[in-house]
Amino acid sequence: MAGNEIKIERPLSPHLQIYRPMFTMMMSMMHRITGAALFFGTFILAWWLISAASGPAYYSYVNVFVSSWLGRLILFGYTWALIHHMLGGIRHFIWDTGRMFSRPALEYSAWAMLISSVGLTWVVWIAGYIVMGGRP
Amino acid sequence: MVQFTLPKNSKIGKGKVFAKPEGAVNVKEFRIYRWNPEDGQNPRIDTYYVDLDDCGPMVLDALLKIKDEQDPTLTFRRSCREGVCGSCSMNIDGTNTLACTKAIDEIKGAVKVYPLPHMKVVKDLIPDLTNFYAQHASIAPFLKTDTPAPETEWPQSREDRAKLDGLYECILCASCSTSCPSYWWNEDRYLGPAILLQAYRWIIDSRDEATGERLDNLEDPFRLYRCHTILNCTKTCPKSLNPAEAIANIKRLLIERRY
Amino acid sequence: MRMQTPMRTPLKQARGLGTTSGGAVHFWRQRITGLANVPLTVFFLFSMVFLAGADHAAVVSYFSHPIPALLMMLFVIASAWHMMLGFQVIIEDYIHHEGMKVLALVGNILFTAFFGLTCIFAIVKLSLGG
Repeated sequence: MAGNEIKIERPLSPHLQIYRPMFTMMMSMMHRITGAALFFGTFILAWWLISAASGPAYYSYVNVFVSSWLGRLILFGYTWALIHHMLGGIRHFIWDTGRMFSRPALEYSAWAMLISSVGLTWVVWIAGYIVMGGRP
Repeated sequence: MVQFTLPKNSKIGKGKVFAKPEGAVNVKEFRIYRWNPEDGQNPRIDTYYVDLDDCGPMVLDALLKIKDEQDPTLTFRRSCREGVCGSCSMNIDGTNTLACTKAIDEIKGAVKVYPLPHMKVVKDLIPDLTNFYAQHASIAPFLKTDTPAPETEWPQSREDRAKLDGLYECILCASCSTSCPSYWWNEDRYLGPAILLQAYRWIIDSRDEATGERLDNLEDPFRLYRCHTILNCTKTCPKSLNPAEAIANIKRLLIERRY
Repeated sequence: MRMQTPMRTPLKQARGLGTTSGGAVHFWRQRITGLANVPLTVFFLFSMVFLAGADHAAVVSYFSHPIPALLMMLFVIASAWHMMLGFQVIIEDYIHHEGMKVLALVGNILFTAFFGLTCIFAIVKLSLGG
């Protein structure tokens, strides 16, 4: 290397491109993605609240969108994101107390979180439909 | 914005394929990352075939056999060959581990060998660990006392000594830090799991008198708090240590002393 | 990643500009707002189920009661604050260009304040009769 005046820029070794995707890593990413999605979900909440405060005419206009298949899809996704992020937050709380750091606990808590969030989302939506069905 | 893709000079091209050993029955394919600083080209993947019947059980044995018999230019760090020095850490089959303790039989299909992720490459499988070592120096990894030293040793109870178990065994191989996405995006300001584990080792050492100062040094939003409990570190540690737990304990101490 | 500046020791680069103490405070506030959000989110989901398919009159009637209105406002405050802290971390993680980062951090605070206050204003208006 002595006398070699050309400075060659060292390459960066591959990272995301080659690292094995771990389930725990995916769940951590999901926690961040659901958090960011909820950030944009505040638009919907604010829009709904403002529409209700604006009077029955505008509110029914918003209701039409919410009742459409696209509106329901978005709300379903928002519900799942909210519940998943909440359960993930509880998992973080448990870690903050220093518990559940063993390798098996990390795996089964990640699975429990995913399965519960999907399950609870369905529970909330079924409850919602029952209430809607019971309306005059 | 953080670069999620590799820069132009790091994109990997096609490499050479070496001949299969003649008459071998039990042959394993090895795809190894290569880069030569002297040929001015981009990195590439070279493919080698190793007769497992004539090779030791670990990936390091295969690498040494390739270097010995097929390609003497293959370059990597190695020393103890028994998992205690930390030299041969690299990314094997997608996770960071020591080549000398990773059994070839554990890997299905071709064995993919890369250097530790998101590090500047010196040559082939050798990363530039200068920053990693500097970060270790920055946490003052030695006993700090103001009380004059005793005649013999600093006394320590068995219980206090037990607190160091799971911390002192770290061989600073950098597998955990280079598996952490937060360290990938912020390695200049975030210390990373390996260094934080060592920082915790000195914080809970009962003989050390600079605990407050050590905790002060970590309370920074970047130095410690880039840890988002992604947990790649604990999953990848070849010595089965738990950096994530150590980091959680440091966070607990910081809350304990503030509230 | 910052380039290795020549003629600076690795230790100098590792030490950088030193440490601040803001980390623990941010962490604590993130946890407190998160904790508050657990019961408040349960209340929010319950409210949404209760108001599923409801007409305008039913919504106004629901928020005219002080407890739902108050809990909804607390939900907005706690989740907006939590959201702002969380997004701050995302910005710090990924944006390293100093100018862009400051812009994004300020934008984060303003967005949170705007939408948080919008929601609270709407709830107050509804609780006072729509």
